[in-house]
Amino acid sequence: MTSIRQQTPVSDGKASKDSSTEKPSNYKRLSDDDLFRHSSQYRFWSFTPEQLEQKRIQVNAQAVQSIEEDLRNFVADNKTDLNEEEIKTIEMKAVPVTAEEELKLINLYAKKVQMIAQRLNLPTEIVATSITFFRRFYLENSVHKFEPKAIVLTTIFLACKSDNYFIGIDSFCEKTRGSKEQILKYEFPLLESLKFSLFNHHPYRPLHGFFLDIQAVLHGKVDLSYMGHIYDRCKKRITEALLTDAVYFYSPPQITLSALMIEDEALTTRYLELKFHGNNPDSSADEQKTISQDISISLEKLMTLIRDCKKIIEQSTNTSVEEAKSIAARLYFCQNPEDLLKKLKKRKHDEQDSPRAEKKTRVE
Amino acid sequence: MSQPEYTKEKKVGEGTYAVVYLGTKQSTGRKIAVKEIKTSEFKDGLDMSAIREVKYLQEIQHENVIELVDIFLAYDNLNLVLEFLPSDLEKVIKDKSILFTPADIKSWMLMTLRGVHHCHRNFILHRDLKPNNLLISPDGQIKVADFGLARTFPSAQEILTSNVVTRWYRAPELLFGAKHYTSAVDIWSTGVIFAELMLRIPYLPGQTDVDQIEVTFRALGTPTDKDWPDVSFFPAYNKLQIYPPPSREELRRRFIAASENALNFMCGMLTMNPQKRWNAVQCLESDYFKEAPAPSDPSTIQIS
Ligand SMILES: Nc1ncnc2c1ncn2[C@@H]1O[C@H](COP(=O)(O)OP(=O)(O)OP(=O)(O)O)[C@@H](O)[C@H]1O
Ligand SMILES: [Mg+2]
Repeated sequence: MTSIRQQTPVSDGKASKDSSTEKPSNYKRLSDDDLFRHSSQYRFWSFTPEQLEQKRIQVNAQAVQSIEEDLRNFVADNKTDLNEEEIKTIEMKAVPVTAEEELKLINLYAKKVQMIAQRLNLPTEIVATSITFFRRFYLENSVHKFEPKAIVLTTIFLACKSDNYFIGIDSFCEKTRGSKEQILKYEFPLLESLKFSLFNHHPYRPLHGFFLDIQAVLHGKVDLSYMGHIYDRCKKRITEALLTDAVYFYSPPQITLSALMIEDEALTTRYLELKFHGNNPDSSADEQKTISQDISISLEKLMTLIRDCKKIIEQSTNTSVEEAKSIAARLYFCQNPEDLLKKLKKRKHDEQDSPRAEKKTRVE
Repeated sequence: MSQPEYTKEKKVGEGTYAVVYLGTKQSTGRKIAVKEIKTSEFKDGLDMSAIREVKYLQEIQHENVIELVDIFLAYDNLNLVLEFLPSDLEKVIKDKSILFTPADIKSWMLMTLRGVHHCHRNFILHRDLKPNNLLISPDGQIKVADFGLARTFPSAQEILTSNVVTRWYRAPELLFGAKHYTSAVDIWSTGVIFAELMLRIPYLPGQTDVDQIEVTFRALGTPTDKDWPDVSFFPAYNKLQIYPPPSREELRRRFIAASENALNFMCGMLTMNPQKRWNAVQCLESDYFKEAPAPSDPSTIQIS
């Protein structure tokens, strides 16, 4: 798989076509790609798949280490009170979750972020920012340290402020039935985990650019109402892509092109072929030159890149509720082993009363 | 707590939402400014201005934009570590003991526009350009600062607040209360700053918001539907006194030292219709920068 660290991403369609007359000698023109490479999104939040996996393993390992230490201390501190069965129960049930399991839980809650943000009727971009912030927070923190449920609302609250869509805390709490203290309490940790990098390049802006460009390049050959339809579908597809790891490996325009490819492969392929090889009668020779300079990779390479990206976007990030519950239960018992013992006592008590009664595990 | 990396030595300024200290980065001895955000006062958590400042400064690295060196949290306060900039254009304009030349002005305009252009190509509107927010480094570089009002370029549907930019530097579309505007508002401010540098007094010093409209159009002419289609649809428009635009001769008389290219440059930035107003690239490519005198070397300009 290729990552943006190794590949030049294609610029979005409306690649700077500003009049390229004489420039003052010290005036340097930067392409859109150069700009993206200077962005904090690229500097802090772009990884190769190996780097990303390493990161997740590390965050998890650190948390697990401290949880295991806490559990050992708990057992040691209560040595005299604990019987063998109880110690065994702790060893069996209070098992820290793995990096993989963390990811499953995060994926589930990332969808919750999306759902709540959409229910608040927030603009698409802010829904996107909320999802992005939430997922980045858990690249830096383990679910063992910060319960996802607690971070969800803070994420949306900060995303609104960061994207200039201010909602007062009281009104926000009213709409989300959240706790004011809790939401505000996590604002600093969130900001810090985000490395104070709040500016997002979402793939919606390139989508707009590509749509204008597709209509210019394929002038008269595309149906406008059909294009509108595709536009809306691409937007939805992009929001879904933000729930996947594609955002860490590919640049926003690459994700946009992948979304386009998913929605209409023939159209997208034709557009790109014309863009790379075709003589577009509408653009001057000068513009043609600019475009081929901006797109400094071959069509073939780009197509491979898009196909790889598309694969990741289409991979499901669904986590079943059952699975999430069992992961959450373990998180809880790791943090509260005494509750595990209480439960054990209660079960034994119940069994004595009515041996057959099967009690459902209560999950927080 | 271990020895802090940044010390605050003396208070150098206070804004609406922050106190600024002069300090030192301990590991390098570098002089820095620490902008401490007054968090406690905001019941809605982190203040929007602080968030904006962090958000945009984190994104921009450019010789003509203030450098955000670091950010740290201490005692529940957010602290922005900025490069220390001992002066600003307002101080220089006001200090009558400082003499500056047309070449110096050209140099300042060039640096300012480079900073502004960099913001714009990163899709960022500054929305508060004025001499006081153009800080000057010890080596004479202009640094665009104070991103507390900045925002990203809006999409076509977004409703914006027109209550931005300090009054004297406010573009006509803002004076009309426009709900949609563009990076052209920053260019207008830059144009007013250019005029102020040449005159050495504020060019359009309105006393109130209403007076600002009066002062602006008296100096530059009331826009009409002819050069700005549908401008008369703004609710405030029908109360306006209609002034004719100034003749070239009047402009020459007001800006005695300005060349024809300098006047074109100014008029490009102070075009009423935001769609016809020059953008940052047009400004940077203007003949004003190509003709003599060449812009001064920033390090040679006297600033104190
Ligand atoms: N990097 C810096 N180096 C030196 N002094 C600075 C620096 N940044 C700000 N200052 C000083 O601190 C003062 C306050 O700055 P700040 O940007 O917080 O507020 P302001 O722009 O003066 O006011 P407002 O918040 O109303 O816009 C400035 O006027 C300036 O004198
Ligand atoms: Mg200021």
